[in-house]
Amino acid sequence: MAEAAKACAKDLPESALVPSEHLKFVNRFEVTRGDACISCGLCASLCPYGVHKRIEGHAKILPPDDRKCIGPSCEVNYFFCVANCPTGSLSVRESETFASMGDPRWTPEMILATWAQAETGRPLSLDHPGNLGASGGGFDKLSFKLPEPVGKVDPADICTAIDLNRRGSGTKIRIPIPIYGGGMSFGSVSVYTMLARAKAARMWGTFTCTGEGGYPEALVPYKDHVITQIATGLFGVREETIQRTRIVEFKYAQGAKPGLGGHLLHDKNTPDVARMREAVPYTSLFSPFPFHSVYSVEDHKKHLDWALSINPRALMAVKVSTPNDVEMVSVGSYYAGAHIVHLDGGYGGTGAAPEIAKKNIAMPIEYAIPKVHRFLAKEGIREQVVLLASGGLRTAMDVAKAIALGADGAVVGTADLVALGCVRCGNCESGRGCPRGIATTDPELEKLTDADWGAGRISNLYNAWRLQWCELLHRLGMSDISQLRGRTDLLRHADKPAKEVGK
Amino acid sequence: MSEGSELLINSRSWMRDSAPDSAAHSQEAEGGCGVLGIASSVQIPGRHILGPLAQMHNRGNGKGGGIAAVGLSPDQLGVSKKVLEEDYLVQVAYLKPEVREALEGEFIKPRYRVDKRYKVEVSADKKFVSSLEVAPPEVWRYFCRAKKDALDEFVKRNKLDKLDPRKAEDEFVYQTSFQINKKYYASSEMTAFVMSHGRNMIVMKVVGYAEDVVRYYKLEDLTAYVWIGHQRYPTKGRVWHPGGAHPFIGLDEALVHNGDFANYHSVTEYLAQRNIAPLFLTDTEVSVLLFDLLSRTYGYPLEYIIEAFAPTTERDFTLLPEAKRKVYRAIQATHMHGSPDGPWFFIIGRNCFYDRKFQLMGITDTSMLRPQVFALVDGDVQLGLIASEKQAIDSALKSLSGEFPTVPRHADRYWNARGGSHTDGGAFIFSLFPEESSPAGMRLICTNKFGTPVTSQTNSWDPREDLALAKPLPDRPRAGALGKELVEKKGPRSAFELLVRRLNELSGTELNSLFAHLVQQARKSDAAMDECVELLTLMMDGRYSPGSFRRSRLSQKANEAVLILLRSAKRIEKGDRSLYSLVDLKNKDKLRDAVSPYDKLVIDAEGFPMEGDDGVSFLIRAARERGWNRVLVIGTHGQRFLGAGLGPRSKGLRIDVYGSPGDYLGSGLDGAELVVHSNGQDQLGQILSDGKLVVHGDVGQTFLYGAKGGESYVLGNAAGRPLINAVGKPKVVINGTCLDYLAESFMAGNPLFGGGFVVLNALTFDSDGRPVDLPTPYPGGNLFSLASGGAIYIRDPKKLVGEDQLNGGRISRLTDADWKLMLPHLRENERLFGIPVEGFLLQVDGVQKSPEEVYRKIEAVPLVTLAGAIQMQDIGD
Repeated sequence: MAEAAKACAKDLPESALVPSEHLKFVNRFEVTRGDACISCGLCASLCPYGVHKRIEGHAKILPPDDRKCIGPSCEVNYFFCVANCPTGSLSVRESETFASMGDPRWTPEMILATWAQAETGRPLSLDHPGNLGASGGGFDKLSFKLPEPVGKVDPADICTAIDLNRRGSGTKIRIPIPIYGGGMSFGSVSVYTMLARAKAARMWGTFTCTGEGGYPEALVPYKDHVITQIATGLFGVREETIQRTRIVEFKYAQGAKPGLGGHLLHDKNTPDVARMREAVPYTSLFSPFPFHSVYSVEDHKKHLDWALSINPRALMAVKVSTPNDVEMVSVGSYYAGAHIVHLDGGYGGTGAAPEIAKKNIAMPIEYAIPKVHRFLAKEGIREQVVLLASGGLRTAMDVAKAIALGADGAVVGTADLVALGCVRCGNCESGRGCPRGIATTDPELEKLTDADWGAGRISNLYNAWRLQWCELLHRLGMSDISQLRGRTDLLRHADKPAKEVGK
Repeated sequence: MSEGSELLINSRSWMRDSAPDSAAHSQEAEGGCGVLGIASSVQIPGRHILGPLAQMHNRGNGKGGGIAAVGLSPDQLGVSKKVLEEDYLVQVAYLKPEVREALEGEFIKPRYRVDKRYKVEVSADKKFVSSLEVAPPEVWRYFCRAKKDALDEFVKRNKLDKLDPRKAEDEFVYQTSFQINKKYYASSEMTAFVMSHGRNMIVMKVVGYAEDVVRYYKLEDLTAYVWIGHQRYPTKGRVWHPGGAHPFIGLDEALVHNGDFANYHSVTEYLAQRNIAPLFLTDTEVSVLLFDLLSRTYGYPLEYIIEAFAPTTERDFTLLPEAKRKVYRAIQATHMHGSPDGPWFFIIGRNCFYDRKFQLMGITDTSMLRPQVFALVDGDVQLGLIASEKQAIDSALKSLSGEFPTVPRHADRYWNARGGSHTDGGAFIFSLFPEESSPAGMRLICTNKFGTPVTSQTNSWDPREDLALAKPLPDRPRAGALGKELVEKKGPRSAFELLVRRLNELSGTELNSLFAHLVQQARKSDAAMDECVELLTLMMDGRYSPGSFRRSRLSQKANEAVLILLRSAKRIEKGDRSLYSLVDLKNKDKLRDAVSPYDKLVIDAEGFPMEGDDGVSFLIRAARERGWNRVLVIGTHGQRFLGAGLGPRSKGLRIDVYGSPGDYLGSGLDGAELVVHSNGQDQLGQILSDGKLVVHGDVGQTFLYGAKGGESYVLGNAAGRPLINAVGKPKVVINGTCLDYLAESFMAGNPLFGGGFVVLNALTFDSDGRPVDLPTPYPGGNLFSLASGGAIYIRDPKKLVGEDQLNGGRISRLTDADWKLMLPHLRENERLFGIPVEGFLLQVDGVQKSPEEVYRKIEAVPLVTLAGAIQMQDIGD
């Protein structure tokens, strides 16, 4: 077992510092030093967190590093800099920018923690506030029952890899972390954003997905790590895009907006995007809700067979939302030949998904996963299906909870974007609305994201996540992430006594 | 509600109360399926449904199959004619044979006078029987009538004395079966259930494929006037009992279903309010209970039943006559909650006991979301056929033509229903009436929902000549003067024109001999073979006056001759001296590189699987990789994905397809040329990017979905939803019309600057093969909905298409630039199909008109957006 774990933890990328010029001014607290400062250096000698610093031999003290400050609550400490400053030139307060960021689902703490992980690749502690949102539901109500830590974990002893094909035949694909990137189309995000995700996917030997806006040429060098999505609009789907991929994803619905199809509002449909989709620039593009050629399970099988007739080696992934009969949909997909059943819950979606739809339609993902998991087990086919969950899986702990609920792994989207500096402002539908140049195709704005820089940040995030999974598994006495699958007994629901959870 | 209806409903109050726990109204999961129905004016044996059902294997998963037969033969069942016609034919399936005595003692013996009782014989083929995953139930047949005292007591208890006694007896049987099912199926551990109880009909079903039913219960030789069959695709895994398989029964009717409702719960509630409770928990059972309620309890005429199932909506509704609208409005208001919502297609076979006729019908949902094909065959043996796929109909005809020489292998007419429409109502009914003068004793009449007769629209042909022509090609043909002339004629097209001109002078025997002669002569050289194949193909595809022959027979014979001719090509492993090389199931591994770029590969599709990497589509792909530029695929019978997977830049390859190709033909085509010498099925040309697709017939649903480019030419009609979400620059000519939703969300730029367009010529052909105008160019209510680019050029000189059919587009004048754009495509259309531009398209009632008087342009309304002033013409390549 240990040997096997070592094998799957081999050759993983290492983290390197990937800072962001924009993000370093967005912090929880603002420490300001007024003109009255005499650079006496007392604060630097007192602060144990390293907010204040003077380089040896310099006369002046450096500007304070806000990120390290623990805030006004420090006043109880003897070393509180504000109280100790002889000239009264220091002040510490909550940052207004911080307070204005995010939403209950993606709390400011979570955004900052994700940025920190993307910058350094260092893991959060499992109970870090950045690992739990404040939505009052979903994964935010669940937590792990953790025994006290015993010893230190060596990540090389823990296997976090999963297989993407568990049917008896066909191409074997194994990814070293239990996640891959979900579909975000060219048009909804810039080509640099797609490239950053593709490069990170290649570094980690996992995948990202084209979404439904076509397959930009720039992604071709990464084709072994790019999933070709066939969505209801069939935009940009050509034989060569199906032939070059190792995984074909059929997108039937998006959990954030089931029953609504896809939307690309006119402002984002720039001439470049329109060319890729071969549509008319600056018209709103809608994908129909269903595939017009698929209205039943035998149509679905025929549809998969068609993709196989174009690329017989590809694995078939089927992305569905979570209707009441989601377990039937999953079984049907398996019998139609799918390798991966991908359940997309309702918590996800960028700002472009209509508010009325987000979180308001379909079954919550934390109900859907165990329902499907148990049903597949009852039908005797659980071991042949790779069950992935997505839709608002924001952190390493969310992914771990999804696995404990019964999934094999997860698909992430928004977390990648946050790693790139997304502030969750929710203006994604607007062509020039993205302040970070991520969800845009505006030729000027999109240059804000550099693909290599972005890839480094996403890779760091994955590294930080992997280290957290290792820590979690170690504390649970496991050495392989597959041991966690379906262990609802390890979860606690905030509203219920520990014993009842998952029963 | 009449008094009778009320009495019946009241008598069932106990049934609702004893229905399974309402929380268990969870429906059994069900997806799509493969369905088939055949009505015949002579009784046909069950073996003829084996082929078509086997070919729709991929529409089922072997977890349930069933058949129903209506209009049986008394001798075969071992009863008198009177008993067969008058008695209820109760069939009980015993999953546990040991409960039979108890069941008989409790229900059969005290209630029925049993005229005949026996166990249905089963196959003795041990190997076959053991191959079945689940052992089929033991089925016992009881020919019976209600015992007088039991019936009297039933009538008295339920106060049914005002009802016609026979109808009370119907209800007695219906409720008895419900009691049996409830006790032995729904509430205990599923030990037995009533498979059918209608008069002169049987239902048989197993866990397995539908053909297993036929083989296991030895129905190969059982004859009946109406057959329906069903391949089930349940999505739940471990199915071990056949109760959930189709068909389901009302009283004298059996129903099979392809689809799935969204409102199962609502329909169940609606039925519960009328004291009807389902026991088998599938939407199919609910459908037939609904049918029984509307027909037997409420006594609605069939038209109103169909309206209650598939309401007429939107524009179609407004086009109905005032009186009809009033009735339909009332039906919709009353039965809306019982109306199945979602994709569904029903085939129903029934014995109309009180009207002395048998019926087969197909009903599609209003939006036509499931595949459906109807076909009609005239002649001594009249046939009405309904199936999910055209190839299944062709397979049935192939099988039937072996037994009945007058049956052609191609139907006289194929068509699709337009759901919930004012034109045909989305349903067609084949009724069989007893008729002394008819040789078969029955006459088949096809009508649509409104009762308007549907005919095969063929010329009047001579049955004797047809029969002579139906004989196999003679071994020693006599050439005749015409034969010599044809062989000497330069060019296949002039030979074709000569042959067509002289068709009237030939007898069936002579024409048969002529075909054989042509085939013999063609074998002499490659050049002769080329010419002959082309001549025969023209005979198959062309629209011409068939003289005294039957059109479907001519196309069948031409097809047969092509098949014989091409099958005689050198097998591929035997040298490379001939231009033609043959590959079939036996030597497909021997495929080699093409020697010259002119080499032609003949692929005989007979016996190949429908899909998968040992299928025909992969063989075509391999041929392309090995340098073949011409591929002729013959003898297709439903094989899918032909022309898919060739990859980008397959220009230079031409594929000709003969037979009945399957779904997704040419989907993904990117450069190659694909010519179909028959009707196409569904999903043709999905994401077609480049190249050319020519169909000498109709195409099915979602033609060119998400297409990006290429040229497509269709001789006939397209069914629902063609060109949805098409982008880029597809250029399409459809010579017939489309059922509905043409070019919804079309996004193909500006046609005048490199974008795409569709020309809709709105024509059909008369029985002499001459083009004639359709009564309305486009019957549907949704044309170019939500489209943001591209255009439709519709041939509508009388301005029959109105703004009310559009949703977002606008009708504008045709300009010179538009005409210049269309013309080359219309010329190509003329070359392919012989539809003259000046000689027909630009003529209105025989008078020559200018293009702008004949064609109208439907285009997108340009949007002014925040992003600014980019005009339509800036777009395109």
